[in-house]
Amino acid sequence: MLTLLVLTPLLGAVVVALIPARRRELHLPLGMALSVAPLGLAGAVFFSFDAGEASFQMVEKVVWWEPWGVSWQLGVDGISLGMVALTAILFPLSLAVSDSISHRRKAFVVAMLFLETGLIGTFLALDLLLFFVFFEVILVPMYLIIGVWGGERRVYAAVKFFIYTAFGSALLLAAIIALAVMHASQTPDGLLSFDYLALLALDISPTAQMWLFGAFALAFAIKVPLFPFHTWLPDAHVEAPTAGSVLLAGVLLKLGTYGLLRFNLTLFPEATVSLVPVLAVLAVVGIIYGAVVAIVQPDLKKLVAYSSVSHLGFVVLGIFALTSAGLQGAVIQNVNHGLTTGALFLLVGMLYDRRHTKQISDFGGLATPAPLMAGFFLFMAFASIGLPGLNGFVGEFLVLVGSFPSLPALTVVAAFGVVLAAIYMLWAYQRVFTGPVSGAENRKLADLSPKETAVLAPLAALVLLLGLYPGILLERTAPSVEAILDRIEQHTDYQAPSPGRLADVFLSDSEEDS
Amino acid sequence: MIPEAFPEIAWSALAPELVLVFGAVALLLLDVQRKPGVKVLWVMSLVILAVALALGVWQWIAATPEGEPIFGGMLLFDRSAALARLVVLGVTIQAMAAARSLFAHLGNRAAEGLALVLLAAAGFILMAASQNLVMMFLGLEMGSISLYILAGIAGDGVRSDEAALKYLLLGAVASAVFIYGAALVFAGTGSLDLLGIGEFFARNLLLSPAVLLVGIGLLTAGLSFKVAAAPFHVWAPDVYQGAPAGIVGYMAAVAKVGGFAALARVLLSGFENFRPDWAPIVAGIAALSMVVGALMAIISSDIRRLLAYSGVAHAGFILTGLASGVEGSSSVWFYLAVYTVQLVAAFSVISVVGGAASSGSDLSDYRGLYRRSPFLALVLSVALLGMAGLPLTTGFVAKLGVFLWAWRGDLEWLVVVAVVASAMAIYLYLRVIVIMYMQSPVGDDPVLCDRPTSWALGAATAVTVVLGVFPQPLLRLVETAIYL
Repeated sequence: MLTLLVLTPLLGAVVVALIPARRRELHLPLGMALSVAPLGLAGAVFFSFDAGEASFQMVEKVVWWEPWGVSWQLGVDGISLGMVALTAILFPLSLAVSDSISHRRKAFVVAMLFLETGLIGTFLALDLLLFFVFFEVILVPMYLIIGVWGGERRVYAAVKFFIYTAFGSALLLAAIIALAVMHASQTPDGLLSFDYLALLALDISPTAQMWLFGAFALAFAIKVPLFPFHTWLPDAHVEAPTAGSVLLAGVLLKLGTYGLLRFNLTLFPEATVSLVPVLAVLAVVGIIYGAVVAIVQPDLKKLVAYSSVSHLGFVVLGIFALTSAGLQGAVIQNVNHGLTTGALFLLVGMLYDRRHTKQISDFGGLATPAPLMAGFFLFMAFASIGLPGLNGFVGEFLVLVGSFPSLPALTVVAAFGVVLAAIYMLWAYQRVFTGPVSGAENRKLADLSPKETAVLAPLAALVLLLGLYPGILLERTAPSVEAILDRIEQHTDYQAPSPGRLADVFLSDSEEDS
Repeated sequence: MIPEAFPEIAWSALAPELVLVFGAVALLLLDVQRKPGVKVLWVMSLVILAVALALGVWQWIAATPEGEPIFGGMLLFDRSAALARLVVLGVTIQAMAAARSLFAHLGNRAAEGLALVLLAAAGFILMAASQNLVMMFLGLEMGSISLYILAGIAGDGVRSDEAALKYLLLGAVASAVFIYGAALVFAGTGSLDLLGIGEFFARNLLLSPAVLLVGIGLLTAGLSFKVAAAPFHVWAPDVYQGAPAGIVGYMAAVAKVGGFAALARVLLSGFENFRPDWAPIVAGIAALSMVVGALMAIISSDIRRLLAYSGVAHAGFILTGLASGVEGSSSVWFYLAVYTVQLVAAFSVISVVGGAASSGSDLSDYRGLYRRSPFLALVLSVALLGMAGLPLTTGFVAKLGVFLWAWRGDLEWLVVVAVVASAMAIYLYLRVIVIMYMQSPVGDDPVLCDRPTSWALGAATAVTVVLGVFPQPLLRLVETAIYL
């Protein structure tokens, strides 16, 4: 089932590639239709997932490069489940808004579907080399999507994106090799292995843990991106086409937080505990820095891009709070941010399609000609700020509650990020949508078409669903999160503080429902 | 009756080389006698190569893995030498299939050119199979001298002459260094035979191995020149740039295979005991090659110079595998087998775009190649991504193998240098791809290539991707080819 889920988009890419280039009207609808198949499969995985189980489910393993112990091994747990579902949801929606891609449309659809295979594969891979292969292969379609179909400075942005991430993953590869060789020296048969589950059993010295943690963390920090490795992000976002931005923010950045959560915490528990201060400080700096820079952005797309730096800082803070509430918050905020920021990028893209500008100062009073669009924007802005009842609240609240017991001072600073988020989001809304309509072009601005509404509506519904009933996700993530914490407590003398009563509101809520 | 002193020779073990040498002679005689068309000669040379390859495969299957000493132990086709033979013949066929237009351009010199190609292939195969330093030198010279001539064979323009002359002069110096090294080894051990040297160490203990160590160092330096490893690489960019495009890929590929095979045999088979002495030097050359190659390639504005410097970097990666010891040599073979295919493919594309006999090829000629020929742009992209070591290409598997063995061989620092160098190198390959796909074309006229070239390029691309995803067959093959 999981193999099928990974390979269906690839198969779709092959099918689209076989359609002659002159039938250009077919490529996009076909690509959309084909990306619904993995969505169906992901839905099936989501609902057949056993919420009480902490370990990996639906595991599939086939020996791949036999002499080196590399295997095609997939499995899903609470950490990856939400990400896989999010990926599968965002692809058909991003393809649906890609009408504005005018040249080489076939190649665009092929690149998108190839990207989907890579992303789903990265979240499901249980073999470190397989993970690396997916992690690295994603760069090619994403590079093309930015570099071929992007804005004016697209080549610069694409190359910058590629170089940053390639450097990060270079050291990741060295660390993975180190683990495989360590496995060979610690097992009696002396065989190399990249199997994540087998590598968990390794006995790694504290010094080695620090080095390996550093290599893994650098690769993932660039991806997140954690301050100060974030400088590629605004360029990539601004130049990428709408679909590219949605997937970049919605899914690609999550590879970083996912990697930290999946590999750093479990493989190197001792290093994790001793490096908490470093990463937590970087996360909080990112929260505040991203938010402050977002406030002064004259470019709407850049504003949303910097808000991602800030939001993902919350996720990293939640991870390194090392409490169950913090981790839960990080996992769910990963998904939340994908939904809300994805929707915001879609809206910015829709504005750009109409006016061919992203400068906030070019807009004004758009709520009068386009009330529906204004409504969706405000809704998503509220979700992004963390208005209670919407999904962002659940995630950020859990992160803050979870990190307060272990990192009180940093949490207080981080909480200002929420205030700043209200400033940049609402101020942007005010300047773009409220007040008198400025300019003739804005007056004539068309409201959302039925298709655009149909693209945004499911995201809005999910935002509301996860806001009102977070249990549907939390109950599935809870056992895996506890398992990570247990592992850290077993391997170090670290004791996670109790999550605190407020956080229990959400957690017990989910237990009642399950 | 065969006199007692005349050793019995297992001619069958040499069958592929005999076919190559006699084939080369036959081509020359035929050219003198009948003056057949270039096309006939070109097809004949491909047939000769195909027969040699078939015999090579037959030998791989039929011969014992340890091989049988030939000419009283001068040559030994063990698994590694037999594999070197298959790689050399394979890339020669690949290069020749794409080089018809070059030989058409050469006109009445075509027969000589083709004969030299066959002789060079035979020379480097013999070099790879040598158990004796003198035999190794003979193979090296047989191959190198053929290549010196080939570098200048198109003979039009100063650049080509410069390339040939530079290659000849520096190559001669390197040969001299090699032979001096061999003499010092003989002074130190009393033997030129690599097995004999091994036996010498089994029975004796050298109290002051200084002479021997200098000898090993000189052998390493001479061979490093042949494989274009830094700091012995300075000839490579000029030669790669000036020699006829249709032949450069072939020249670089076979010289690398022969050179690395010889280097591996000298260091791993002859002087394995001295690994603590030579490993730091080889590792140092490897690190320098990777860094210098990547940096210089980034600032090159000519695609051939770029590939020459990237070749320096690749020599560094291969040396990384070599420095990690006997087991690591399997990764050396994998790397050589897949890299040479990418290298020849890249130069075949260059010869189609810039003209088979031309010298020089500015990167700006490749602007918008995607529009002028989607096929060539794709082939070159796959070859470059393979060289960059991107997953799902053979280049990734090759690099991974080298890194794995080097890490196991306690060369962790070298692996870190290597991963950083390969990340830098990604940029330079990407730069070419950006130029091909994301810039507007220089002209509208489509670039066309003949059918055999398309087949050779298509096959190379398929091999790079398919073996990149499913490398097990080749991995098992090279596992048998370690030096014992």
